[in-house]
Amino acid sequence: MALSIIMFSGTADKFIPLGVLTQTAANLGVPVSIFVTGWALAGFLKDGQKNVNRMPVEFADMVPMLEKGMHDIKAPSWYEMLKSAKEIGDVKIYACSLMTEIFKIKSKEQLDGIVDDIVGAASFMQQSGQNQIIFI
Amino acid sequence: MTTITVDSRGTACPGPITDLIRAYRKAANGDVIELLATDVGIKSDAKAWCDRTKNELVNITESDGTYKTVIKIVSKRENRDT
Repeated sequence: MALSIIMFSGTADKFIPLGVLTQTAANLGVPVSIFVTGWALAGFLKDGQKNVNRMPVEFADMVPMLEKGMHDIKAPSWYEMLKSAKEIGDVKIYACSLMTEIFKIKSKEQLDGIVDDIVGAASFMQQSGQNQIIFI
Repeated sequence: MTTITVDSRGTACPGPITDLIRAYRKAANGDVIELLATDVGIKSDAKAWCDRTKNELVNITESDGTYKTVIKIVSKRENRDT
């Protein structure tokens, strides 16, 4: 069993399940490949965590409750969860080469250090093989 | 053989299992890990983790909102194995 996660969304709420799923898989010894594309790439630029603060407008009325609840239970940030998952398990984070082109990123050194490589979609799909694929 | 106590009270899912694994990496076969947690998810998660890693779930008890999960480590291939 192995997991592939396609991380597309850029809103902060969607980064919570990214962190939790990745951490949980690492905890269970399940290998994870994360393919970062779309708006989500903004969160993986250098100091990109600060870009992850938009919340979906359709849930605007519930956002304060979510933010307070996360704070009250001292939930770790999505970034801390990914870092911890990489320490514990087999977790690879790949940036989509199409999106890096669009963002004018030329090499992985221009991305956050948590990113392992810049790859094309075919490579990710090939590598995913029979993995469960989750789109966030 | 030692008993290792892991205090994960106050952390939310998946914190307790993450703390368990950090202790597990340093443990050896025959050791017992006592995990204290307040997140109710630990009851199902400890069982899932033991099923997957083939370690022995001795019991889970609850007192004043704290769940104490006792796990006997039996399936490490080597001492620094995950």
